[in-house]
Amino acid sequence: MITYELMVLLRIMPKSELVSTLKRTAETLFDKGGIIRKLENLGTRDMPYKTSVHGMVYNRASYFLFEFNAPPLAIRDLLDEYGRDIDIIRRRIYKKIVPEHQECTLHEELQPAPYRKNVQELVEQARKLDKPKFNYNTGLDYYPFQK
Amino acid sequence: MNILNRSLVRLPITILQSWTSRCTYVTNITDVPNFDMENPFEKERKQCILCKHNIIPDYKNVKLLSQFQSPYTGRIYGRHITGLCEHKQTEVETEIVKAQSAGLMATYMKEPVFIKSPKLFDVENPLRPHRF
Ligand SMILES: [Zn+2]
Repeated sequence: MITYELMVLLRIMPKSELVSTLKRTAETLFDKGGIIRKLENLGTRDMPYKTSVHGMVYNRASYFLFEFNAPPLAIRDLLDEYGRDIDIIRRRIYKKIVPEHQECTLHEELQPAPYRKNVQELVEQARKLDKPKFNYNTGLDYYPFQK
Repeated sequence: MNILNRSLVRLPITILQSWTSRCTYVTNITDVPNFDMENPFEKERKQCILCKHNIIPDYKNVKLLSQFQSPYTGRIYGRHITGLCEHKQTEVETEIVKAQSAGLMATYMKEPVFIKSPKLFDVENPLRPHRF
């Protein structure tokens, strides 16, 4: 089960309308077979860039975050549905980040180039392109006769 | 040895040789240094700032992400400037793109509220020279 995060930017409107819009967004989620885990209000603020949707230009928006579970096939329908809602300026659905521990590799990356693993791999790759050298099979590391 | 201190006294080489050989022969076994110890000059393992404080970059944490953004162009600073490890740098980059797409973060500049936030790295002293 994948937990998704829905980020919606709603246009500035009175509280009663805001409530009904949020209810509508939640209802569509339930209709598509999803469940809501969390609803967060991230406040109303100026957007970092203006957005023009539904024939209007918006500079301010109320930010809301839904955390939900839904079948992955429903995500496209959800985005389509929210895109047609005129109260929603912008909507994005991302997967929730699952924290996983990864060892820091900065120390290895700061090594001089020949000691770095990815450089060594590159050198090895380049060696493969070398022209084949004739092998005399004499068991000696030099050519015993006069050339 | 005081014979040597008296200048202009030249000793035959055989005598000198016998002195040095006697000295090395007498060397005690216990005085030989122990070479099995681990390298005392080994440098401390370096860690990037996000790994050190165990921070996972998130697209909602715009205040943190904007610190990796140029105030002039809004572009993301490269790994040679930020000093992050490969893993964290890619994480930061993807999260910034997500935040910008979701309308949380500015694209062509740093938002003016974050201009005075503390500097995590020195932009003027990159690890290796800039491309430009
Ligand atoms: Zn790291």
